[in-house]
Amino acid sequence: MAPVLVWLILFLCLMISLVKYTLALILKWSVPAATVKKDYSFQPTVSVLMPCFNEGKTVYETIESISKSNYPNDRFEVIAQDDCSVDDSYDWMLKAQRDFSNIQVRVGRNTANSGKARTVCNALQHSVAELMISIDSDCIFHPDAIRELAACFSEPKIGSVGGRVGVRNPNDNAITAIQTFIYYAAFQLYKVPENWTRSVGCISGCLFAIRRELLLEIEPKIRSRHWFGIPVNQGEDRFLTHQTLLRGYGTYINNDALCWTTVPSTLPELFKQQLRWKRSIIRDLFYTLRTLPQHVWTLHPNTVLTLVLTPLGALLGLLVVLTMLSGNPMELAGPGPLIGYLAIAAILGWVIRKYSVRETVNNPLAFGAYLAWSVVSSLFLTTLALCTLDSRDWGTRTKEQNREQEATHGDASAASR
Amino acid sequence: MATQAPPAVKKVPEEKPSVIQPMIYKSVVTVYRIFAIFTLYLVLIGVLAYGFVMGFYALSTSWAAPVILSPADDKSLDFTEKLVTSRQTLEDLNVDKKKLEDGIGEMNKHRAALEALEPELRRAITREEQHNQATGPQLLNLDKQKQADILKTQAVMAQVKEVEAAIDKDLAAGLITKGDAATQRAALNQVQSAYTDSKIGEILLTDNILEKTTVDTKSLDVLDKQAELISEIAQLDIAISVAQKQIYEETKQIDRLKAALNTAKQTPYYLSVSGGSAVNFAFVPYDNQTSASIGAAVYDCYLNMVLCRKVGTVKQIFAGEEHAIHPIFRTDIRGFLIQMQLDHAESAKSKTVFLNRKPLFF
Repeated sequence: MAPVLVWLILFLCLMISLVKYTLALILKWSVPAATVKKDYSFQPTVSVLMPCFNEGKTVYETIESISKSNYPNDRFEVIAQDDCSVDDSYDWMLKAQRDFSNIQVRVGRNTANSGKARTVCNALQHSVAELMISIDSDCIFHPDAIRELAACFSEPKIGSVGGRVGVRNPNDNAITAIQTFIYYAAFQLYKVPENWTRSVGCISGCLFAIRRELLLEIEPKIRSRHWFGIPVNQGEDRFLTHQTLLRGYGTYINNDALCWTTVPSTLPELFKQQLRWKRSIIRDLFYTLRTLPQHVWTLHPNTVLTLVLTPLGALLGLLVVLTMLSGNPMELAGPGPLIGYLAIAAILGWVIRKYSVRETVNNPLAFGAYLAWSVVSSLFLTTLALCTLDSRDWGTRTKEQNREQEATHGDASAASR
Repeated sequence: MATQAPPAVKKVPEEKPSVIQPMIYKSVVTVYRIFAIFTLYLVLIGVLAYGFVMGFYALSTSWAAPVILSPADDKSLDFTEKLVTSRQTLEDLNVDKKKLEDGIGEMNKHRAALEALEPELRRAITREEQHNQATGPQLLNLDKQKQADILKTQAVMAQVKEVEAAIDKDLAAGLITKGDAATQRAALNQVQSAYTDSKIGEILLTDNILEKTTVDTKSLDVLDKQAELISEIAQLDIAISVAQKQIYEETKQIDRLKAALNTAKQTPYYLSVSGGSAVNFAFVPYDNQTSASIGAAVYDCYLNMVLCRKVGTVKQIFAGEEHAIHPIFRTDIRGFLIQMQLDHAESAKSKTVFLNRKPLFF
């Protein structure tokens, strides 16, 4: 009975993915309602909240790209909040504040290392704007990004809007090439049906816009997030999106609001990042299951299915790989899946080259290596994530961090200038 | 953006700490961590063990996979069906061959009889020809005499009408009685009848002469019979030749079938379907061929590789190629079957056994 259930759920997950990708293509080409009506005359005041930790010079480049935004300069500001970096990130932030005087840049610093989620909350304390845009400090933004995000909020029921995250370093190696494909497909296809019902399950923290009042309402929950008493500072983007949906607001990805992030280029970095994401997904699944009746009554059925079955599929992937290894391990090395991945790579490679030149992958066939990664991911990442839900480790950029600095509630310092 | 003083940092109201909750949380986290550590070590051991097993079976050249051949499994059933069919065919061929041999015997007898008849016929024809040659001219002479006699009788017959008229006159004159007249007329009729018979006889004689001096239809019939006889002998020759060829072919087929059946008796499937005591087999991949020799020790191990014990020996090696699924890699592999003499019957159910030596020396 149990294997039947497992296969049934897996089949459902696969079907949902398949239907979603197919539906995405149809919606993209033929259903205008899938796209939000953007009103560019709607220009609320915007605070770009930029938490930063051990980013070095990158943070300067990030602020530089925002300074080139074509959103009215008097309608937005940047609030850069350093989370006790041990490198020269803070100095670079101050330098950016001096160099980009065309926009208002506030720079703050936590009194203790608090994690990204609480650093965003601390940055929020310095803002009075109507719209909050939380960004990652290692991203480069398109000049239209803020304008595009703000235009979507003309729909009153929209609570949060995300942008499309591209890859800055697609051709570093096969690892970055694979991520380029995954990012592109996720934003351009997978999230399109969710856009249709204004119920995107997870808006990327790289570029996340949210109404001020909504963020203020959710802030206490962010600060008090914990796992059996252990503060949780990961997956704030998924959590924020989830909370937005539960409050009856819509969530949306505007693929015209662009930013580019530097994705991990080594396996250890990728492993740590994916482990962090996996933990967030599992925590989110447990949260959803714990409050399933509320979800069922409040949310769109598509959203509930996405929130439950997608992470459940990731968990069951572990069982699938175990079954395959115990059954016929050589099947994994067979040509079928590899040919499938290569075909997808060829198509996506062509599409990216045509529609997003900046992310062109020179060697799209590198995507074939995703087959090996998917096995590692299903077999080890899921297990490790399940066994390290108590971890507060961000995984990346934690070098030389004095663990004693960590505090459950890191207050914002009054370092804003 | 218009400069505004940031609002005062909003302090999140701290909940009054509960005494019990932190203890519960701590307990849950402690249990979770113990469970997580245990699970992760288990995964680690599992991964290492899996890697080791994969490597072990990739390098090992002494493993064999025990095979339990049931008379009811597909291959055995197929083999049984073919065996029965072959035996039936062999029997049919033997019966057929016997029939053909009997048939040839009969045909030979018939042919001998026909061959014996043919010279007799030839002699009879010769004899008859000689007789005709002798009697033909004699009959021709007699026919001439007969014709002369008929001519003479014909002259006499011309006077019969006058005699009849004289009888009628004598009767009318009352010189003779009616009885005398009737007697005289009857005598005249006899004379006429004798004359007619004589003419018929002459014609028949002519026919007879024709028969003896020329080739008539009767002679042709006889010749036809002779030709038929010769033809029948020729047909018999052909039939005998065909039957002999068929016997030759069937004899060859019988020999082949016997050879095939003898080969089949050397296969594990024959041993399996022929019943009797339990027979234990094992599949040996070609890569491990060197370890399989008659009399080699068979080891059964715990976890398919350690703490091995000798459980029997290799009794027989079968030549035919077999295909099997690799017990670990699940790929299709080629090899052959061996028969094992097992002291521990349960080892026939092990996933793998090892030939010749213990795989890890313990």
